[in-house]
Formats: sequence, structure tokens, C-alpha cells
Amino acid sequence: MPQTLSTREANLFRTVIRHYEDKQYKRGLKAAEQILKKNPKHGDTMSMKALIMNAQGKTEEAFALAKEALTIDMKSHICWHVYGILYRTNKNFDEAIKAYKFALKLEPDSHQIQRDLAILQIQMRDYQGYVQSRFVMLKARPHLRQNWTALAIAYHLEGNLPQAENILTTYEKSMTSAPLKTDFENSEAVLYKNSVIAEAGDVQRALDHLEIDGKHSLDRLAVMELRACYLAQLGKNEEAAKAYRALLDRNPEHPDYYKGLAEALGILEGAEAARLAVFDEYAAKYPRSDAARRLPLDFLNGDRFQKAAKAYLTQMFDKGVPSTFANLKHLFSDPFKRDTLPVLVEEYIQELKSSSGSKGRRNEDSSKGEGAALYFLAQHFNYYMSRDLTKATEYVERALELDPKNVDFHMTKARICKHQGNVQKASETMDHARSLDTRDRYINSKAAKYQLRNNENEKALETMGLFTRVETVGGPLADLIDMQCIWFLTEDGEAWQRRGSFGLALKRYHTIFNIFDIWQEDQFDFHSFSLRKGQIRAYIDMVRWEDRLREHPFYFRAALDAVKLYLLIHDKPQGTNGVNGGDGKGANGEDAAEKRKAAKKAKKEAQKAEREAAEKVARQDPNKASSQKSKDAEDVKKSDEDPNGLKLAGTVAPLVDAMKFLELILQFSPKNIEGQLAGLEVFIRRKKYLLALRCLKAVLALDKSNTAVQEQAIRLRKTIDPILDSLAPKLQEVFRSELNAIGIS
Amino acid sequence: MDIRLLRPSDIPLIQHANLENLPENYFLKYYLYHALSWPQLSYVAVDVARPPKTPYDYPKIVGYVLAKMDEEPADGVQHGHITSLSVMRTHRRLGIAEKLMRQSQLAMVETFGAQYVSLHVRVSNQAAIHLYRDTLRFQTEKTEAKYYADGEDAYCMKLDLASIREQATDEAKKKTNGHGGGDGDGGHEDEGEAVGDVGRDPAAKKGKGAAGADSKVKVKVGRALGVGELVERVVPKQS
Repeated sequence: MPQTLSTREANLFRTVIRHYEDKQYKRGLKAAEQILKKNPKHGDTMSMKALIMNAQGKTEEAFALAKEALTIDMKSHICWHVYGILYRTNKNFDEAIKAYKFALKLEPDSHQIQRDLAILQIQMRDYQGYVQSRFVMLKARPHLRQNWTALAIAYHLEGNLPQAENILTTYEKSMTSAPLKTDFENSEAVLYKNSVIAEAGDVQRALDHLEIDGKHSLDRLAVMELRACYLAQLGKNEEAAKAYRALLDRNPEHPDYYKGLAEALGILEGAEAARLAVFDEYAAKYPRSDAARRLPLDFLNGDRFQKAAKAYLTQMFDKGVPSTFANLKHLFSDPFKRDTLPVLVEEYIQELKSSSGSKGRRNEDSSKGEGAALYFLAQHFNYYMSRDLTKATEYVERALELDPKNVDFHMTKARICKHQGNVQKASETMDHARSLDTRDRYINSKAAKYQLRNNENEKALETMGLFTRVETVGGPLADLIDMQCIWFLTEDGEAWQRRGSFGLALKRYHTIFNIFDIWQEDQFDFHSFSLRKGQIRAYIDMVRWEDRLREHPFYFRAALDAVKLYLLIHDKPQGTNGVNGGDGKGANGEDAAEKRKAAKKAKKEAQKAEREAAEKVARQDPNKASSQKSKDAEDVKKSDEDPNGLKLAGTVAPLVDAMKFLELILQFSPKNIEGQLAGLEVFIRRKKYLLALRCLKAVLALDKSNTAVQEQAIRLRKTIDPILDSLAPKLQEVFRSELNAIGIS
Repeated sequence: MDIRLLRPSDIPLIQHANLENLPENYFLKYYLYHALSWPQLSYVAVDVARPPKTPYDYPKIVGYVLAKMDEEPADGVQHGHITSLSVMRTHRRLGIAEKLMRQSQLAMVETFGAQYVSLHVRVSNQAAIHLYRDTLRFQTEKTEAKYYADGEDAYCMKLDLASIREQATDEAKKKTNGHGGGDGDGGHEDEGEAVGDVGRDPAAKKGKGAAGADSKVKVKVGRALGVGELVERVVPKQS
């Protein structure tokens, strides 16, 4: 039987909630205890206590208490709501939704519970559920525009565009007075509606709507861009050209506008002179525009290219623009352009020399003129499409003669060393570059990266520590993890792996995995925040991007590393466990033996490093404690029970662990061949032959000529052959026909 | 080079550029907060010359400006603020920072009626100071002692956006004339004013009031961690 509270205690209960909301957890607990002293079986108070404990990180105790509260007071919406929140904060969203629904059954009018449920539904992409929730919320509070917009969003994301538009229109019609021109929410709602119309494919109506309703929009750029795009789509070329010209006047550095203008003017791809004229016009109008000068180099050929390239290079070198090479290297897929550019650069240097007396460039900044040209050539011969490392070294040394303290020149020298395979010298050279400008974090980051490439993890962390926040508890690494510095974690993990320290390597990969979890959860608050802010188009963009978050190369690289490492761990204990069959294993066997030897050696080294690292951490601990003293105990981070990843590396089921990374690779980056090949490796070892076959087929579909395919097909066949007869007849058939099909191609 | 508006999908590589270039770093969520509160104000410079390596390549960000409006201006005047601006060392001397800033400033005026824009810069950062003071004509307001986590002072700089306001108003007029849509009622003549004085205060108050009221709604339990809170936590000044 639920207990009822006296007035005094009811008041006290309210303060518990307030303390919780203000994050005054200790006070909240104290007040809760006071109530529980007199009413030890008050479910709501117990639940609130559990909620506070959960916020303090005592998850298990919190769950136990919340469950107890529920058994005492099954009919309390607070108990169910809290139970849902506990699940939500512990990321079990499905259970959380269930609990919220129970709470809502008990208290159907609770706006708060409905809202929490709705947010979870959209977070989980339960569009139908979200539509339902937003519908109820709109009915409860139809006077708020937000609620109309929210329902429209729900329909929009569900794919029901007409209904989304309909909801937005219904609200518009209900408005009694014309909105102010400065009403931002209205301005954005109009453009949101416009985007819905356009997405439905009705371009003409989108244009009409934009020109009438969107005329006073405060987001002027959006209106201009949309208008230009609609006009072009509708073939209204004259107006479209005008619209693109207006956009170019705003921002002459946006290639899309040039493209739009040229198309609207009816200039054909091959009409070099006409296309060039468009760019020349803007180069003259905006002398500081880079795009107007550089973009023509993409499509010009022959003499026109030479002339334009010469002019561009001259201007860039005179200014000493270090990115000149980076801006042009994409042209190298055209052999003529690749070969012409260095000739033009040499010409520039010769001309400079013959006229240097009169122009007196000698006293100028030596990163300009000749220095810039030599720097270009060094990069040119260091680039993979035009590589000649001897020449590259020559040019970079000549550049350094002119300007021995130039950071960029040293940086390129380090890259050349890297390409020569001398990672040690590359690391030293980059660190020297760093020492020339110790206030620049960019060169500092590069130095750390090169140290990691040379397996100098400790040194690299020290280098990074020159720029991380000093006051972060746990030192530079903790700060880099806090700040989600993916590149460092990846490189650090790969270096540890090369050193054979699998624990630390896995630790880094898992940390990156967790950062992606955080990034996915980051959208949570915005489901309500964006409604308040009214920036709906940006919100929709965000939701759609979050849907494919894990296709990001940042994820892919670390996840692939992890999968490969788990494979290695699986294969290591006993090299031949029969999976690969006996034949053709000889060469592999030797390989494996060598690998084992190397791994053993590396492991020893790594253990030493880990010991040292552990000692270091231990040494830091006292400081940690003292700096923590001032902080509220509630802020203390949960201590890491496996800082060196030894538990991770000691896994007995590496292939199962690999699945966590692999599944998301295959789900989000199915078109990446390397990912599919890694999947094949894992599935063959796990004896999931159908899945292995699927990966193989995916590789084939992506690249018929991939050399790995034949090899892998043979391997898969050899693996399957001996057991084929034991499979179900249907499976036998599938494997026979599929493998034959691959064999033929 | 491509200079364009920031998109949410750019954010991991913007965060990457920030981490490579600057000591003041932020959670991804803080970038999202900018992108979803003032999506018109933040711009990126993209290296379009990079040949793609996989089907999932994201545009390489070589420079960015992360900008916001001051949500509760102490002086009651609508204004913008530059949270972070950086350009990769490899892409300097192309005027990228300046171009990013000018795009952002224009949008601050057009979309949010900003009267001025403010920023902080390390007193030792000569290149940045040169850009702000000499190229963009910012004025140094004051020095804030030990603004940065490492103890360095900051100049607090401001730029009056009056000239951009005029430019924006002119353009708006041109646009209305150019449209020739037949609504020559002259009603747009005062558009600039509406953005400026008449509309500003009520709009600002309204915005604030609404947000304030909303955040004060009494909830029973479990209010989600607000984004606002996050903001306070990440601003470098907090240290």
C-alpha cells in the first residue's frame, strides 16, 4: 500500500526534486532520508533517491532501489518514470521506452512523461511512435507553434511529406496577425516549409512559395541559393544566371556558383574559351579571389592551360602562398598537366634570377619567390603521382639554403624522409621543425604524429602535452580523450599495436568507439532544443547526418584496426587450428611462425612499456587526489579498471569482440572493400560461411578485378568443401552455385 | 578552395582542424550547438582538390569560423561573437580567414540584426591581431587578464557592423527592385530599420523571454541535461 505524506513531508519531497534538478545531490539525499525515516515505504521518495544515486554513478544500487520502489508502489507514475530514466541514462533505450509507456498509462496527462517518451522515440528513430506522441502533445497544447512544427518534423522524417506540409499550413492559417519581419521563428518556419515542398519534387511550387512567402526571410543566403537552384531546375536560364551572379558577388570563392552560372548561360563543357571568359570576368572584378583564377586550370588544355597556370603560379609564388601545390595536385591525374607544371615552375625560377637585380626581391621574405617555387617542386617530386625522392630532397635542400628556419620547408623534408621509409629521421626532422615555432600547435601536432609513426608513444604524448590543458586530471592523454582527439588516439593505438602492446592498442580503439557513442548521443538534447531555437532545417540536416555517423573514415579506420588486431589475437595462440586446411599452408605457416616470434619480442617490450606506464600513472595519483579535493565528490570520474587494456587483450573470444566493430563497418561502410575483406576473415574463422560468402560477393560487386577475390574464393571453397555434404541441401546448392559463379568471373 | 556554410556533417573534421591548430578545444556537442543555434553564421574552407580515397570521404576542412550570437548580451545590444577561427598552416596566405570572417559578419547582420561582433585573441598572436585590427578593422576594447587556460591575456576586440548593415540594406533594396514582382508599395524601404532599431529590442526580449520561460517550466523529474549547461562548461574562460 503506498504511503501518503504529511504536508511537511510533501513539501520536503518537492525540495528533493528541486535539489536533484539543481544537481545538489547530497542535499537531495538528505531530504529524501528525512522523509524515509518516517515513511520507509514511500515509493516515490525511494525512486527519487534512486535517481539521485544514479546521477552519482551508483548505478547498480540505484536500479535495486528503483525496483524495490516499484514493487511497493506499482501504480505510481513517478516510480515508472524514474525507472525509465535509469534505463535511459544507462543507454537501454528500449526498456526506457517501455517504462515511460507504463508511466504514461498511469498518468496520461503528464506532459513531462509524454515529452520524455517522444524524445526517446525520435532518438531511436521510431517515427511512427514519434508521430503519435507529437500528435498527443499538439492536442494538449495547440497554441504553441513549436508543437505544430514538431508534428510536421515527425511526418517529414517518417517520409510523409504532404502531411508535413499540411500541418505547417494549418498553423499558418490559424495565425491571427501577420508575423513581424523580425520574427525569426516564423522566418525559419517558412523556409522549412519550402524545403519540404522542394523535397517532394514540386520545384515550381517551391519557387513560387519562396518568392512570395520567403521574400522577407531573414536567412538571405538560403533564399538566394534556393532561388537560383529552382530557377536552374526549371530551365529559367536568364533569371538563373542573374541569381548566380548575385551569389558570386556575395562569395566569389564558391565553385558551385560558377558552375551554376556557366550552365545557366548555356556554356557547354567543352567550350573552353567561353568558360574561361566567365572566370576571367570575376577574376577582374574580385582581384583577391582564388577560385576565379584556379578553377579554369581544371578544364583548360594545351596553350590556354600553360598561360593560365603560369599566371597563377607567378601570383602565388610572389605572394609566397604555401598551399600552392596542395591547390593544384588534383590536376596530376592529367599527365600533360602533371608534366607541364614543374617546367613552368623552373621557368619562373629562371626568370626570377635574370631579373632579380632590378626587382630586388633578395631582401624580401625568402619564403616568397624562389623559395616558394623550390618548395613547390619539393612537394611535386614527393607526391605519389610524380614521385622522385632524390629530386625532392634536392629541391627541399635548396629551399632550406634560402631560408634555413622555414618551418614549412622542414615539414616537407620530414615527409620526404617518411616516404623514403626512414621514419626515425622523419620523426627527428619534424621535431626540429616544431622547435622552430613552438607556439604553433599545427606543427606540434605533426611532430607528435611523426613520433607515433616511429613508435615513440611516450615521446609523442609528451609533445602533445605541450598544448593540452594543464589542469585536466589524468594528464595529456585524459585531455585528448576528453576533447575527442580521434587522430591521436588512432595513431597512438596503431603504434602500440606495432610495438606488440595489444592491450593499449585495443584500449585506444575502444575509446574511439565510445567517442562515436557519445557523438550519437549528443543529438539527444537537440530534439527539444532545436524546437525552442526554431532552426529546423539545420536540425533535420543533423538528424540525417547522425543516421550515417559511423560511415565516417574516423570510425572506419579505428574499427578496422580493431578487427584486424582481434584476428591477430585469435590466430596467435595456436597458428594452425585446422580452419584453414592443410594445403597451401606451408608458406603461411612460416609467416605465422615469424610473426609469432616478432609478436613475442614485441610483447616483452610492450609489457615493459606498460609497467612503466602503470608506474607513471601511480606516481600521478597523489596529485590527482589533491587536485580533486576542491571538487565536489559528485564530479569524480569513474576510475578506469583496465587503463592498459590488459583485460581487452586477454579476451578468450576475440572474434566475438571483433563483431562489435565489424557489424558497424558492414552496416555503414558496405562499399569499402577493406571492410568486406576483414568481414570475410572473421566469418571464415567463425564458420559463418554464408556471411563470408556475402562479404566475398560484396567485394566482387565493388571491384571485379580485385586480386584478393580469386584467392579468397579459393580459400572459402577449400574451407567449405570438406563439410559441404554435412550442410542442408539448400545451403549446399547456394554455396555450389555461388562459388562456381565467382570461380568463372 | 571552397568557402561555404558549415554543415553538421563537417563537424568531425572541423573539430579535427581545431585540435590540430589551436589549444582551445571543444566537445563535438559544442560545435553542434553552434550549428543548430546559428546555422547561418559558421563557415568552412574546404580543400576541394583532394582526390577521394574511399566512397565515404568527407570534405577536408582546412579552415573554419565558428560563430554565435550572444544569447544574453550584458549591454542589451544584439551582437555576434567569434568562438573559434583557424586556418591550417598549410593553407595560409590565401586570405581564407578574412573571407570566412566577412561571410559570417554579413550573416550576423542580415539574419540576427547584429550591431557589432566581438572576439578574444591572445595578446601574443601577431598574425591574428593583424588580421582583425588591420584587415578587418576591429578595435581593441580592453585586455582581459589571464583569459586563457595557460594564463595568457586576451585582447577583447570589437567591430561595429554599421557599414555591413548599410551594404545589406542596399542589397535588399536592389533585390526588391530587381524582382520587379509588382509589389512596388515601397513597404520594404524600411526593412533595414526593422532589422536594426524597431524590431530589435522586442524581438530580442521575446526570444529571451520565451527561452527563459521554457527553461523554468517546473518538471517533475529527469529534465535532460540542457545544452545551455554544456556551453558554460566548455567556454575557455571558465578555467
